[in-house]
Amino acid sequence: MSSNSGFTMQRMVVGAIALAALLTVPHFLSFHHQDLLIFLTINVLAVCSYRLVTLTGEWSLIHAVMMGVGAYTVALLVNHFDLAIWFTLPLAGTAAGLVAALLCFPLLRMTQFYFLIGSFAAGEAIRLTWVEFVGVFGGTSGLRGVEAPIVFGIDFLDPIPYFYFSLSIVLLCLFILYRIENSRVGLTLHAIHWKSALAESVGVDAWRYRALAFILGSFFVGIAGGLKIHYLGSVTPNQFTVGFMVFILIWVIVGGYNKFYGPIIGVVVLTIFDESIRSFEVLRPAIYGAMLILSILFLPLGLESVPGKIKSWFGIGSPPPEPPLSDQ
Amino acid sequence: MAILEINSVSKRFGGLTALDNVSFQVEEGEIRGLIGPNGAGKSTMFKNIAGFQVPTTGSIHYQGQSIEGKQPHTIAEMGIVRTFQETTLFQELSVFENALVGTHIRARSNVFSAVLGLDRQKQQAANDRVMEVLDFMGLIERKDQLASELPLGSQRALALSIALVSEPKVMLMDEPFAGMNGEETSHMMDLTRKVRESGITIVLVEHDMKAVMGLCNYLTVLNFGQVLAQGTPEEVRNNDKVIEAYLGGAR
Amino acid sequence: MGVVNFAHGELVMAGAFTIWLLHAQFGLGYIPAIAAAIVLVTAIGLLMERLLFRPTRSDPLAGLICSIGVLFILQVIAALIGGDGPSKQVPPPFHGTLVMFDVLRIPYQRVFSLIISAAALGTLWFFLTRSKFGWALRAVAMDREAAELQGINTDRISVIAIGVGTALAGLAGGLIAPLTNINPHMGHNVIVTAFIVTIVGGVGSLSGAVLAAILYAVFHTLVTVYFGGTIATISGLVLMVIVLIVKPTGLMGAKVSE
Repeated sequence: MSSNSGFTMQRMVVGAIALAALLTVPHFLSFHHQDLLIFLTINVLAVCSYRLVTLTGEWSLIHAVMMGVGAYTVALLVNHFDLAIWFTLPLAGTAAGLVAALLCFPLLRMTQFYFLIGSFAAGEAIRLTWVEFVGVFGGTSGLRGVEAPIVFGIDFLDPIPYFYFSLSIVLLCLFILYRIENSRVGLTLHAIHWKSALAESVGVDAWRYRALAFILGSFFVGIAGGLKIHYLGSVTPNQFTVGFMVFILIWVIVGGYNKFYGPIIGVVVLTIFDESIRSFEVLRPAIYGAMLILSILFLPLGLESVPGKIKSWFGIGSPPPEPPLSDQ
Repeated sequence: MAILEINSVSKRFGGLTALDNVSFQVEEGEIRGLIGPNGAGKSTMFKNIAGFQVPTTGSIHYQGQSIEGKQPHTIAEMGIVRTFQETTLFQELSVFENALVGTHIRARSNVFSAVLGLDRQKQQAANDRVMEVLDFMGLIERKDQLASELPLGSQRALALSIALVSEPKVMLMDEPFAGMNGEETSHMMDLTRKVRESGITIVLVEHDMKAVMGLCNYLTVLNFGQVLAQGTPEEVRNNDKVIEAYLGGAR
Repeated sequence: MGVVNFAHGELVMAGAFTIWLLHAQFGLGYIPAIAAAIVLVTAIGLLMERLLFRPTRSDPLAGLICSIGVLFILQVIAALIGGDGPSKQVPPPFHGTLVMFDVLRIPYQRVFSLIISAAALGTLWFFLTRSKFGWALRAVAMDREAAELQGINTDRISVIAIGVGTALAGLAGGLIAPLTNINPHMGHNVIVTAFIVTIVGGVGSLSGAVLAAILYAVFHTLVTVYFGGTIATISGLVLMVIVLIVKPTGLMGAKVSE
């Protein structure tokens, strides 16, 4: 299963067109939508790194807080040591990975919903630490003064250069995530998910692999958090509540978590959808709630499975669901 | 010395007693049948041996070492591998990928070498081992098919292959013949014998009496979580208690 | 049962809102309003069981996500009925204060809540430990397959369990209504506390949960008095993580097998 064979001519052409579109699009957007595009790019990394955690079948509720760990790391590093973005981003990821590594010991003793609840509690405890220790973390008003980085003489306060910058970081991270998923390590993670007992019966230490997925996922979302804060300039505990976590869950599930690109579809489609129902205000959460339920009940494989379903409905193409990992 | 020793193992779930003071020994190189009516505790016994459950009391020794309470993956690394009831496979993966999961113990991979592409040699060794086993089990032509697309007989053969790839010393097979027709059963019996001839000790939980009587050289009969009888297939067949509890019914 | 209902806090909120609407707005008696709250919340719970949890039983996560969906919907419905603006208050139907030994002063409203809660818990405890249902519920929670082999109807057990659980959520909403501020987001605190208490006490153990609830209440109050509310919640969560390290099944929980 060499992972290079997946890059066929056709894929490269599609990729090139998509990239060209991505590079030109921001020039035609309003300032508000350029902002949105940057957050969308960063959220793509958040959902894809979350998917790595879920590959083993364990769903955590701490991912948003891990993003916050990355964000606070950046804010502290910039405020106290005035470090450049080349150092702060990897350190943001490392900090989130370290916190995850420490949390593995209590959290990964549990599986399934015990893990879910445990991760929720640990995340809430970390978040409340930011609220409580005003001297270090600035309390509810958070930390400010993270100035936009200047790299190669380009001021990243301007959304368009920052979009290009974050896009390249995110694409690099996505490439690494993709390589991991399609390696033997990824195969083992999949195996633990589908038949944990069967994997363990041939000697897979499920705990170690769950830990690995959790730490790596946290590392990448830490970078996402860092990217976000370098653009926003300030960080508060309210950016990383369980509410934001629920959004990550919704994006991943509605998009479809069986394929690498499912969560990306989810976050893109729902962000556009969310923009279009801005006028409903009060009703928005309920619309989201209803959509979540309907998509779980009627589209359990997510939006990603829709083209396959339509094809098979007309009797063309291979019947869904296509298996993950089949595209090597 | 027996390769596997079960000493007075009991397993209770709340008010239910699934295993009640069960003792038996398995000699190296045998095919041991573990039979009994539904709910007799056969699968629970397997789970306890393979580390998926911990006995409430009693001990389990493998090659003289105590293994009860150890993690499933540790027990697998020591050489005891189980197969599962019904067809437990990675349905979403290809035949080849299924078997590849079994190479985990012998050829481990890590993230950094995987991302950077540094583990080609290990990969190659793992792939070779998988091809060898698929060839042995007669699955080589189907290696790129999805596990879910295989006919029942091949699915069971694949389940055996995943276990075999990890090079076990003892294999616990949980109802490998369930739902098979006559032809599939005899094919599976041949495969089981081949596995045993390659030097692997087999413990078999099975309801198919033809397969059990044909394959096993020694039987242990469980009933209501207790050992009801032990002996050669001939002795068990003629045991009054067994006939009353089990064989005397529908069969 | 392997079902996590994230909307449990919102069910309590729905119960409290029912009291506000029927008792405080429309002048229905407090006790009939509580009865209505229990009926309404149980109905929501049973609908959730049949429409959401049962079709998704093979995947506990799907059930959980659905319950998050319900959470959002209930919050919006509450906001629509109650309108925007400040939190709602329900005037306590019981007045006066019980004074014991001159030092212990408890408003009669709280005495009433205490008695009803204790009675409900007693009944639940009896139900779970002394009845055939309780035995069956524990069997299903431990090993669903084995329970089915013993001839237990797991669908029925599931309906009863959810029904009882949500009825109690409705009752809790009714009891808490006069004691707190009612708003669509009050469920969040309920669920955090419920999680801590359940995990610390041991999932599936009622006596553990009651013990943990009492200990946690005392602990939380003391820490709040000396160090403040946020520290109290943080230490509660840390305490919970410590319990998980030492004994993943909680103080009184039984070992749950795969």
